[in-house]
Amino acid sequence: MAKQHDGVTRRRNAFWAALALPGVVWLVLFFVVPFYAIIGVAFGTVDPIFGTPIPAWNPLEWSYEGLDVVVNGLVSSEGAFRTVFLRTLVYVTVAVALSLLIAYPVAYFVARYGGRWKGPLLLGLIAPFFISYLMRMLAWINLLQDDGWVNDVLLWIGILDQPRNWLDGRASSVILGMVYGYVPFMILPLYAFLDRIDRSLLEAARDLGAGPFQAFRLVTLPLSLPAILAGVVIIALPMFGDYYTPDLLSGSPKTSLVGNQINLYIQGGQQRNVGAALVVVLMLMLAVLLAYYVVVTARTQRRLHG
Amino acid sequence: MTWHPRERYGRREFIQRSAAGAFALSSMGTLLSACGGSDGEFRPPELDLARPNHPVTHTLYDDNPMIASGLDPEAGPLKIYNWNGYLWPRIKKDFGKEFGVEVEETYFSTMDEAITKISSGAIDFDVFFPAVDRLGRLVIGKQLQPLNHDYLPNLAKTVWPSLQDPFYDKGAQYTVPYTIYTTGIGYRTDHVQATPADFDNPYDIYWDEANKGKVFLLDDSREAIAHMLLKNGITDVNSEDPEQIELAKSELKSLIGAVNVKLSTDDYTNVPEDRAWVHEMWSGSAVSAQWYLPEGTRPEALGYWFPTDGRGSIGNDAITIPKSAKNPVLAHHFLNYLLDEKHGYDNFVNYVGYQPPFVTLDPDRLVSDGIVPANLKTAVVRESDFDTGFFQLELSPAGQKLWQTAWAEFKAGG
Repeated sequence: MAKQHDGVTRRRNAFWAALALPGVVWLVLFFVVPFYAIIGVAFGTVDPIFGTPIPAWNPLEWSYEGLDVVVNGLVSSEGAFRTVFLRTLVYVTVAVALSLLIAYPVAYFVARYGGRWKGPLLLGLIAPFFISYLMRMLAWINLLQDDGWVNDVLLWIGILDQPRNWLDGRASSVILGMVYGYVPFMILPLYAFLDRIDRSLLEAARDLGAGPFQAFRLVTLPLSLPAILAGVVIIALPMFGDYYTPDLLSGSPKTSLVGNQINLYIQGGQQRNVGAALVVVLMLMLAVLLAYYVVVTARTQRRLHG
Repeated sequence: MTWHPRERYGRREFIQRSAAGAFALSSMGTLLSACGGSDGEFRPPELDLARPNHPVTHTLYDDNPMIASGLDPEAGPLKIYNWNGYLWPRIKKDFGKEFGVEVEETYFSTMDEAITKISSGAIDFDVFFPAVDRLGRLVIGKQLQPLNHDYLPNLAKTVWPSLQDPFYDKGAQYTVPYTIYTTGIGYRTDHVQATPADFDNPYDIYWDEANKGKVFLLDDSREAIAHMLLKNGITDVNSEDPEQIELAKSELKSLIGAVNVKLSTDDYTNVPEDRAWVHEMWSGSAVSAQWYLPEGTRPEALGYWFPTDGRGSIGNDAITIPKSAKNPVLAHHFLNYLLDEKHGYDNFVNYVGYQPPFVTLDPDRLVSDGIVPANLKTAVVRESDFDTGFFQLELSPAGQKLWQTAWAEFKAGG
């Protein structure tokens, strides 16, 4: 009897496990294989004439030439890679922080006070993003031009007394471009999470004497921490690889990011292994970020449920 | 010093070696040699770097013959691989009508991208427009087929004698010329306080802080570094001397602090649309820039400087037929069609803005006919420019690496 029961459980488990199959196949096909290809290129050699990569699939045959170049550029105090990595880190940190400052109140408002307008409000927030990222950045070029609307408005209000050249290669334009480009991807997870917070928890807090701000600080905010982290991860990852925002909104070497260097090395020339090695190093850094995310969410989950 | 491969070993040995090299170059070969794990062993034929004082006759390979004479053109569709905006659509339409075929054009945005795609061997374009500075690689890799001049009577009829038999491809075995250009400095006469000619060293205009935030270099390592070299009196724009490249790099870096220099290849719109006041510029872009001026701005607002003694940066683009072409006869007809006096001229003045090197095209008439505004007559290219100018040509792999590293360091903006 017990044996038979075991068999049923096992079959059932197998059934549920099988549901993971499409996801696993997807990950293997579109993540593991391509990523190993990048590793192969990073540790491979380059065709001496055409510069096309000759990947090394066998770790025993890896060449560390490309990685050497990257590490040297990172370690030396005047290394080019150190400059772009630090700049990227600063830009992404500022852009993520700004996105959070914008996204959190918006998501909070829609979740708490949206009422029956929730749907239309969300749709309205997301609608501009049906247009491709590239088109939106191109639109910003027009808005930010010397005689563009941004200058017109700022002049009219009186903030500026003469038009400012927003496209002269300044960091602020690039960072704001990134914020604009990615902020909805922060709003959505925050909204989904805030919307699910049990109102009775807040009511209990208020009953126990907490003011509105205290209730927010002690209940809502800690509860939404996983959503904040999820939003941060979702937008930080693509920002780290961004290269077209600085290309379009600046074009100055002063605002170039890791993505631009990767693009430069991968696109052509004799050093595609260096480009691939840059990708690997960037991935390793992001893996640290992700690991932190996983640890924190696990801890929060345990605290909530344990 | 590089040698012609034939000088170094016998023809037979050379063919064997180059066959092995070319095999390893193709994607299949790359994959196999990578899987086999014994890469690095094969020795590809060395590049023979063409220079004006070292003309190169490219190797013809037994397994890469030209097409026979007198064949009928294929049924198409003719597939063209080209820069965006580099061919008047009307040309395609008219050619298609004349030969009763469809003409399809695919674009690339950088030469690196194009070379990568062509050398993958996975695509079968019939006509390809490469830069001359990649020619040696393409020939060694057997990516191009030799041209049968029987189909190209217009080459001898319309093209400058010097480019009928150019030093980079003696006998025009693999290429015919398409357009010629100089690389000078474009500027806005209505904004700059001093034009390049006002400076003792005209290249100093890039550092003029009055134009801060409005100074652009071409986003092209070869072009940008070439101007830095020329500024310092180094006329070998194909230099592989690390000290000279280091000097060019520090010049580039100093532009970041001085004027926050920007990089772009949209010179033909950046200047007319006022994003740039000073822009390293191709002569063809200077000509076409007048078509992008906003209403109310006259062509006189545009200026183009190129050394009056012709000692500046020059180049030309070529048209070729890839080895994998499915319609090689039709492709030959298309090359000949573009070299036709009328078609080449129409293509230039109606759309492309880059001049074809035709004997029939009188540079002085371009101005008097109003094709080129008088204030941009410096953008007209003359055959004599090719005697005095400095040609950007193929670099060795080591040289390419040197240039790219310097360029990447500058672009990191440290």
